[in-house]
Amino acid sequence: MPLHNEVVSVLPLALCLIPAALAVVIYPLTRAARALGPALNLLGSAAATALAAALTAHAMRGEVVVAMGREFRVDGLSALLVLVISFISLAASVYAISYMRLEPLLGRVAQEEGEERSERRLAVFYALWQAFLATMLWACLTNNIIALYVAVEASTIASGLLVAFYWDRRALEAAYKYLMLLTVGIAFALLGCVLLYASAAPHLADKTGLTAMLISDLPAAAAAIPRSMALLIMACFIVGFGTKAGLAPFHPWLPDAHAEAPGPVSALLSGVMIKMAIYALVRTLGVFFPIATYHPVSVFFIALAAFTMLLGGVMCLAQDDLKRMLAYSSVSQMGYIAAGLGMVGLGFGRELGYLAGYGAIFHLLNHALCKSLLFLAVGAVIYVTAGRRISELHGLARKMPATAVCFFVAALAISGVPPFNGFWSKLTIYFAAAEARLWWAFGIALATSLLTLIAFVRAGFRVFWGEGDYPEEAAEEGDQRALSEAGRDPLEGEAPVTMLIPMIVLAALCVLIGIFPNLVYPIIDPAARALAAIF
Amino acid sequence: MLNVKLIETLSLIMIITSLMAVETHNLKRAAAAYCVQALLICGLIFAFAAANPALYLWAVVALATKAIATPWLLIYYVGKTGLKEAKAIIGFGPSVLIASLLLITSYSLTHHYVHFLAPTAEAAQGVFRTNLAVSMTVFSLGLYAILSRRDAIKTVIGLCLLENAVHLSLVSLAPHLRETALVGIATEVVITVALLLYVIAGIKEQVGTTDTFELSELHW
Repeated sequence: MPLHNEVVSVLPLALCLIPAALAVVIYPLTRAARALGPALNLLGSAAATALAAALTAHAMRGEVVVAMGREFRVDGLSALLVLVISFISLAASVYAISYMRLEPLLGRVAQEEGEERSERRLAVFYALWQAFLATMLWACLTNNIIALYVAVEASTIASGLLVAFYWDRRALEAAYKYLMLLTVGIAFALLGCVLLYASAAPHLADKTGLTAMLISDLPAAAAAIPRSMALLIMACFIVGFGTKAGLAPFHPWLPDAHAEAPGPVSALLSGVMIKMAIYALVRTLGVFFPIATYHPVSVFFIALAAFTMLLGGVMCLAQDDLKRMLAYSSVSQMGYIAAGLGMVGLGFGRELGYLAGYGAIFHLLNHALCKSLLFLAVGAVIYVTAGRRISELHGLARKMPATAVCFFVAALAISGVPPFNGFWSKLTIYFAAAEARLWWAFGIALATSLLTLIAFVRAGFRVFWGEGDYPEEAAEEGDQRALSEAGRDPLEGEAPVTMLIPMIVLAALCVLIGIFPNLVYPIIDPAARALAAIF
Repeated sequence: MLNVKLIETLSLIMIITSLMAVETHNLKRAAAAYCVQALLICGLIFAFAAANPALYLWAVVALATKAIATPWLLIYYVGKTGLKEAKAIIGFGPSVLIASLLLITSYSLTHHYVHFLAPTAEAAQGVFRTNLAVSMTVFSLGLYAILSRRDAIKTVIGLCLLENAVHLSLVSLAPHLRETALVGIATEVVITVALLLYVIAGIKEQVGTTDTFELSELHW
């Protein structure tokens, strides 16, 4: 029976099923005609973006879209997540048209194993992309706690081979760590989901246990769950979904996987996949948010988030590999989002909760835009120069002016420099920390921003404006390891137009949201209200 | 009625096979031990099904995914990558000692403090209590294998043990779970294991070993 503000619609189902269906047909079709792979991939992402926009329109009217007897439930928070996921996938799939061509990127692979096998591999790549997209969307749309686990694990499965795409030593090592650590982590999340379901079932009106599977019904039973059990459940969620979200100390898979995957896949992993994981975490932990006696858990969670941001920021400074630097910066920025979400727990149902939720969601959106832009820009650098070490690259601004501008917009935005979008979301999180009187978190967040700024400006300046080469460092590194995306001669000039367009669109959004932060208010407000339960 | 004696015997043998799967250095034998362990899990779920007929389907799903598909995958890939396990971090003698201590402590702890773990009063009593303690013991053995073994295939066997334990614990924790959810959980584990083994075979091809200590391209 739908509640007063609930609307029954097929939109959520269609949103899951379109990419899932494409994932099935894309392989045979791409094998038949090579051009169909990127075209269908683009089509799937574009269709998902359109449907997600329709869901967001519902959320902006204050409606909650449900389907299949509330198995799928889309409130403001879910709507924003699916919009971000599909949009970033759209941008990355435009970019992939040129980036994932057989040559020159696959030149080395094709030489080694023949064109036939490379083409097959590319067809699998696009099929897995759509499967990955479908599973991420499913995780954000489902209202069933067991299905949430299944979807999150399915997204690991779908993306495992995307990480291993180059099939060399580094990519394989990254994929092994990725699959192993995430599967072990997620086993804890399953335990948490099952314990929550089982311990809530007896306290709900419907004794069959069917409603206990629905996340939206669980808060009603949360208060009746014994304290020790509730703490155990929360610990399982933090370890389980926290691993996938890249929270320290469960983050070691992240820099490897995000750095070794092909450029557009890195943009998806860092841009949206870890956001989906933090969404799963806040959805499940959020069941206990209304209970004031669990505030210490929220404080612990904020401390974990502060540790995550600081560690990520410090590690970011120490990297010589551009993609690893971006990956560690993702760890650090996830800390900001997690800190904001932890403060929602402290101020649930009050203004503080709304403020912190607004900041966290805003930062989630901004980080998705900036970090995918950064991965795309660095991808363009790798595409053109075939190198990715900061110490080996220099003076690229003359050759690639558009990429240089995009990189700097995103770098300044992510460091929280005005007038870019990251400034406003970080400011909101600082305000929330001050409001909650968590001065230590406030200080750590501010210091980490400074670290991020230093790391990005230093790296960006060297790569784009630095002069000459840096023989000492390069010689020190010594080993001529075959870098995944290298192994060929540099190209002339700027990256192709299909790679530049998504980058310029993302950079324009960073600037636009920076100058007019209220542009995104209509979509973030319903998400923050859903999070903090203020209606 | 539930056959308490049968359940307890099966549980005991299952713990021993888990220990064998972790400790034997011949990977084919480890896979075989794992297969026996999975068969015992099917037997256990079958025994519990006397009280809850929905569990018959669980037993069938477990048989197909855990006792047939997973061991077949393991043996197929061990054939590709070599029989002998890469040297473990801890030697055989100390490792058996540590694993046995782990086994005894985790069993007695979870059996004694079952109320922390049991979501319902029913799950904290009788055979359901034994079931939970056994699951947590196998879980910790699996985790121990993942943390202490250098051989990539062996860590996958550890992962399988860990997943089996979670699956078995569902008998006590959530006996009324819908079949679709269960099939989803069980299938995903098999696919993950298949993918991991596929990647490990790639590592063997590229690096020439399945020793995870040799994988040091990516430090920090």
